[in-house]
Amino acid sequence: MERFMELLFQPLKEFWESSVSFIPNLLATLVIIAGGVFLAWLARLVMTRVLRTVNFDRFCDSSGLTAVVRKAHLWSKPSEMTTRFIFWFLVIVFSMVGLSALRLATVDNLIAQFFLYLPRAFSAAVILSIGYVIAGFISRAVLIGAVNSGYHYAKILAEAVRLLLIVLILAMALEQLQIAPGIVLAAFSITFGGIVLALSIAFGVGGIDTAKRMIERRGEEDEQKEKGRDIEHL
Amino acid sequence: MGVVVEKADILVGIASYNNASTIGHVVEAVDAGLAKYFPDKRAVLINSDGGSSDGTTDVVKSASLDLSAIFLKHPVHPAHRISMPYSGIPGKGSAFRAIFDRAVEMEAQACCVVDADLRSITPEWIELLLNPVLKEGFDFVAPLYSRHKFDGTITNSMIYPMTRALYGQRIRQPIGGEFGFSGTLAKFYLDQPVWESHVARFGIDIWMTTEAVANGFKVCQTFLGAKIHDPKDPGSSLADMMLQVVVTLFNLTEKHFDVWKGVAGSRDIPTFGFKYHVGLEPISVTVARMLDIFRTGASDLKPIWTDILGAGDFREVEGLAGLSEERFNFPNALWTRVVYDYAIAYHNKKMAADHLIKSLVPLYLGKTASFIIEAAEMDQRGAEEEIEKLCLEFEDKKSYLVNSWR
Repeated sequence: MERFMELLFQPLKEFWESSVSFIPNLLATLVIIAGGVFLAWLARLVMTRVLRTVNFDRFCDSSGLTAVVRKAHLWSKPSEMTTRFIFWFLVIVFSMVGLSALRLATVDNLIAQFFLYLPRAFSAAVILSIGYVIAGFISRAVLIGAVNSGYHYAKILAEAVRLLLIVLILAMALEQLQIAPGIVLAAFSITFGGIVLALSIAFGVGGIDTAKRMIERRGEEDEQKEKGRDIEHL
Repeated sequence: MGVVVEKADILVGIASYNNASTIGHVVEAVDAGLAKYFPDKRAVLINSDGGSSDGTTDVVKSASLDLSAIFLKHPVHPAHRISMPYSGIPGKGSAFRAIFDRAVEMEAQACCVVDADLRSITPEWIELLLNPVLKEGFDFVAPLYSRHKFDGTITNSMIYPMTRALYGQRIRQPIGGEFGFSGTLAKFYLDQPVWESHVARFGIDIWMTTEAVANGFKVCQTFLGAKIHDPKDPGSSLADMMLQVVVTLFNLTEKHFDVWKGVAGSRDIPTFGFKYHVGLEPISVTVARMLDIFRTGASDLKPIWTDILGAGDFREVEGLAGLSEERFNFPNALWTRVVYDYAIAYHNKKMAADHLIKSLVPLYLGKTASFIIEAAEMDQRGAEEEIEKLCLEFEDKKSYLVNSWR
């Protein structure tokens, strides 16, 4: 009977002991997470004031960053988005630190992987953000330049340039994240090459009339020159 | 630069770049002008060259004029000629900077600058540009020309109306190219930290005029007759020229807000020279291509224009794009709002300056086409009256610009 009771209570005792020894870890985790949330809230508050003081929203409006995020259907103010990002980033980081206080091997592995991956994720995010802005800038320059040259397919040309650049940027970001790099490289080469080939064929075939018009226009301009000088803009 | 510095009473500057075919005539006209009107003054002719490869500087050195053939005696102090390369960003502004530098070094009382590609310059131009400074005490002399009614469209549709509305002085050719100025003003120009900007290129003319007006220098204009010159460098596209001039105009608008915000209306400025009518060579204009670019802009630049002009004005612009050539008319009121909206967008840094100003080109071509259609049957006077109406519109709507400036 005594043996039976021992068999019955031993696991419960062990569970109780491990629970008792685990409770400080759990408490530490909860404290770290709660403290982290508080610190994240505090950081968000401070950053909100700092960004307001330096007119961050106006800077984003003037530099075109606001327009970029609007295109992604994000309608909050840039300062709000930034502080929200900081808040959640700190919450996640403190949650990871808190979880590591549990001293569980599986969780520890996961956390180690998370922290090792952070620099790559950060680099990818930077590549995507900067790349998106640059793609928008170049595409707008192409659009305005093409319109001023009297090119009728200016919008299509600008969108094509944008698409090419975005494909390039996405491939760079994925390569940075080390997500199936071989497949990404192959996919990028095929997509990028395909787009260039398609554009070349489209431009070649579709451009026959355009080239004809350009040659005709050149003839007209020569004729105009013979008639007299053009106006002076300045 | 290896040239002995002397003192001079008068300095005439010529900025050049591959102007071998025309600069000889300009140098001879300057020589004759100095000999005829300023024989007792110590004068120097500075050719500030941008690295010409066609022998421009050789032509400057070798150009000679038989003064007796135009009934002139040799002056007491024959004008020295200095041909020198300038440094800095290649452009007219950098060439002028070297001229200002020499004017200050030589302590010149009066200076003038003339373009190297002029075909219509006469000795009288030198008198007309320098005497207001020497005899009347003016600091800045702007040119006044007889121009074809379709020439100077950026000047007529934007630069003149806006400068006049902002600063209240009717300087008809603020970016004319030929100017007279005092030694004091040359020193003021030289001291400004602008020589790495668009001022170093085509922005120099509007910059010189505006700085003179905004800083309270005594300003006048002088009638020079017809301006006939070689076409501008074909490599300089309309969009680039416009960028350099308009960015400089908007930068100055930004800088001198406190000067112009309280100015209302405008007044004539003292004008020298004998005005006469000049027969001008005909111009061939094709508005179809201008309208084509305007219409492409209305369809493809819609998001940019809506952002700058607002939905209401964009709808009006879009409506214009649907009109036939015969019915096309860009109203002055709308054009004024367009220019002011662009100035405000530039002030608020709504987008990169380069993109902003270049996106104005199709709108400008639309307005130019409208003016050409409207003034087709008008004489010079009628066309000038139309420009006057536009100027009054700019003055009338100035409160919109002031109130939107924050």
